[in-house]
Amino acid sequence: MKKLITTTVILSAMFLLAACGNSSSNGEPLQVYTHNDSEEMDAMVQDIEENTGVQLDVLRLSSGEGWSRIQAEAPEIGADMQIGMLHGFGIKAEEEGYLLPYQSEEWEDVPDKFKQEDGEWYGTSFWYNLIAVNEDIIKEKGLDVPQSWEDLLDPQYKGEIVLPDPGTSGTAFLAVSTIMQLMGEEEGWKYFEELDSNVAQYTKSGTAPAQMVAQGEYAIGVTWDQAVYDYIEQGYPITDVIPSEGVGYSLDVAWIFENTDQPEKAKKVMDYLGTKDFMELSAEYRSMVTKPGVTDDSGIEESFIDYDAQWDADNRDRIMKKWQDKFSD
Amino acid sequence: MSTETTKQSRTARLVSDLRQFWSEPWFAILTMVLAGAILLFIVVPVFAVLLKSFGMNENGFTLDYYQEFFSRTYYFDAIINSLSASILSTIIVVFLSVSISLYVTRSSSFVSKFYRGAALLPLVAPPFIFSLSLIILFGRNGVITNIMNHAIGVEFSIYGFWGVVISQVLGYFPIGYMLVESTMRNMSPSLEHASSDLGASQWKTLRKITLPLSQSGITKAGLLVFVMALADFSNPLIIGGGKPFLASEAYLLVVGQQNLEQAAVLGVFLIIPSLIIFIFQTYFLKDSGLETISGESGASNAPLSRKVKSTVMTINTIFVAFIILMFVMVILGAFVKIIGINNTFTLEHFKNRNGWDSLYTSVFVSFIAAILAATIGMLQGYLFARKPIPGKKVLEFLTLFGLAVPGTVMGIGYVLIFNGPPFFLTGTVLLIVLNMTFRKIGVGLEASISKMHQIDSSMEEASSDLGSGPYRTFGKIIVPLLSPAFIAGFVYTFMTAMVSISSVIFLIAPGTNLAAVYILNLAEQARVGMASAMSFILIVIVLSCMGLLKYIEKKTGVSI
Repeated sequence: MKKLITTTVILSAMFLLAACGNSSSNGEPLQVYTHNDSEEMDAMVQDIEENTGVQLDVLRLSSGEGWSRIQAEAPEIGADMQIGMLHGFGIKAEEEGYLLPYQSEEWEDVPDKFKQEDGEWYGTSFWYNLIAVNEDIIKEKGLDVPQSWEDLLDPQYKGEIVLPDPGTSGTAFLAVSTIMQLMGEEEGWKYFEELDSNVAQYTKSGTAPAQMVAQGEYAIGVTWDQAVYDYIEQGYPITDVIPSEGVGYSLDVAWIFENTDQPEKAKKVMDYLGTKDFMELSAEYRSMVTKPGVTDDSGIEESFIDYDAQWDADNRDRIMKKWQDKFSD
Repeated sequence: MSTETTKQSRTARLVSDLRQFWSEPWFAILTMVLAGAILLFIVVPVFAVLLKSFGMNENGFTLDYYQEFFSRTYYFDAIINSLSASILSTIIVVFLSVSISLYVTRSSSFVSKFYRGAALLPLVAPPFIFSLSLIILFGRNGVITNIMNHAIGVEFSIYGFWGVVISQVLGYFPIGYMLVESTMRNMSPSLEHASSDLGASQWKTLRKITLPLSQSGITKAGLLVFVMALADFSNPLIIGGGKPFLASEAYLLVVGQQNLEQAAVLGVFLIIPSLIIFIFQTYFLKDSGLETISGESGASNAPLSRKVKSTVMTINTIFVAFIILMFVMVILGAFVKIIGINNTFTLEHFKNRNGWDSLYTSVFVSFIAAILAATIGMLQGYLFARKPIPGKKVLEFLTLFGLAVPGTVMGIGYVLIFNGPPFFLTGTVLLIVLNMTFRKIGVGLEASISKMHQIDSSMEEASSDLGSGPYRTFGKIIVPLLSPAFIAGFVYTFMTAMVSISSVIFLIAPGTNLAAVYILNLAEQARVGMASAMSFILIVIVLSCMGLLKYIEKKTGVSI
């Protein structure tokens, strides 16, 4: 008898819980996709919730992963908003008609080149490729510190280079696209074929190489700026190398999906992303933000190549298809 | 002539079965709902994957994706890697299981209880957590790697094939061990005694008596571990160093390129070995006849002789120490800045709101899935054992098959079926719950059926003779008797759901992220500290739930 009662209690608890589950999945919080690292996004979410009163539910996906998910889900995309994505995907999403245009007043003083003219996407910060080098390993193994993209081909680095996989990582795609734009496509492919024999591992995320190099797993990693600076700041034996040929940079953009059922909340969040408060928080995690007067970005811009984000958007599918054919064998 | 009569009698029996089936309409309706659900949530997704591998769409059939599969050495390597890693892991797991079981079943000392507990510990952790610990210890800059580098100057790397094998051995060991241990425990010791009385040494007794008698349990354990290792996709992702494995490649094809067709082809190659093994196990292994020997004789197994014991104990101690070392690394990793590099104490890895949210979702979802799976398993077990249901053998087969389908395949199948009309369940908690439930109801079902076979139907007859209807009898007699089976189904589903990843990773959405998936994501970003912290909390939650159940068990006397 006792057992029967316990069973009934458990069963009724289940139905209660199930009922709660249904009501909470009706979607009060704003659903957000991001490619930002978990640590950064956690701080941002907290800040946004405190200042706008809008609750966020976040799913982190590497940029390539996120984009293929968006494409597969369209037109019923499973989120209201994207906070943090590659510039090139912003342009593609705009071309595909996935985005809800919104002119936000908070974004007025941000230069026009960092936002779409109809307000379909807004750039919050920008970032660029860097090479992370572990000084201890370099010394121990008697290697030279590479100074350029070209140097990475040197056979002395065999098995010491970590590269993210451009299929999933935006960081890696930026590097691939940079090389293609610098050298031309044909030379670019030759470059990566040669580089492949030095690469020890392709990682899924673009931040992972920085961490691996910081931990001393490998000597050299192709990654992005803030990932390296974070570890330098924490006292790891790594340095950053800006390749002498120059680096590509990408805008990190945010947008509202066209199919959102909570546009008012999303707009409120978009407004907040353009405020000085948010930009200052963002600047703690990024070396440069788009709002004038928050970060000092005078020095680095000389190393930027004349990067063409439209080229990204136009050629990504083709380049990636070829990449998979070449390097998946 | 004679065939006609058998045909006739067969039809007659079917008709009478059907009539009896309808005599209790509620049970009949319930059965049909269950059958429908099993078809929809287990069978249809698998078929969807099969069809998708032939590119089923407007253009009809195509073999392009198979052609693509066979034209690339890359995919061929994936098959070879997956199969050889699984086989190796299985052999090692079986070997270790036998070694530990030999000791644990023949001793009731504190040490043996401790070894048993440690051996089961990996159950409560996500299967890929050992990859993380292995990298901390044996990565290119790992704690042990450095010592070895300085001592003997050999440089080695854990990334790759062997890293995957070791992680799989650690992760899937408890499953194999539980089966081997229970066979050895239930074995009658009299034959062993006879053997030693006749002068055989203990080695000889083990080789000639003990191992042959446990053969069916060992084979079962081996097959199960093989299927699970084959379906493992998280370890190759973290520690595989870019080497292709079937399950992880299928996953990357879906998330990286949305190439569902090609992923489906890989899925087909995952499911073929699982299906073969499942059929083999269901139809050829059951009647080995060795279980007839088992029985309660009261005598206990002969204790191990000193020589055997020292060998076995050396192996056991090394392995158990290794498991514990792995867990210690996770715990240390959770509380220091970056383990091995910057060992200052910190709690910052625990300040992770999205992580806590995902933990909450995991507990909630696993709890509901566990209750559903246990309830359905119990009901189904009763109906199948007592009611004349047409086609129940097929249904039972399909339900148990749900346990054998590799998670990656099931996940892709769910994406194919439930993402569009008429269901539109994508991104809902409901879909995750259904996935977890139907993959695991087999356990509750098996437990209930075997329990039902132990219960004589006289009690039910007594109840109905005294005037109770069939539903009242079910509620008053069957449900209480089946509660151990219910709890078995609940515990198993809850534990596996908390750490499951391969299937649900395709189904999560903002707000429904699960802890295990979140931890894998952290591991991909090489955030070892945060990943360790979240794993630590997950392990604590699962362990305390188990503790709670043990407490209830003591209080109520229901054995778990």
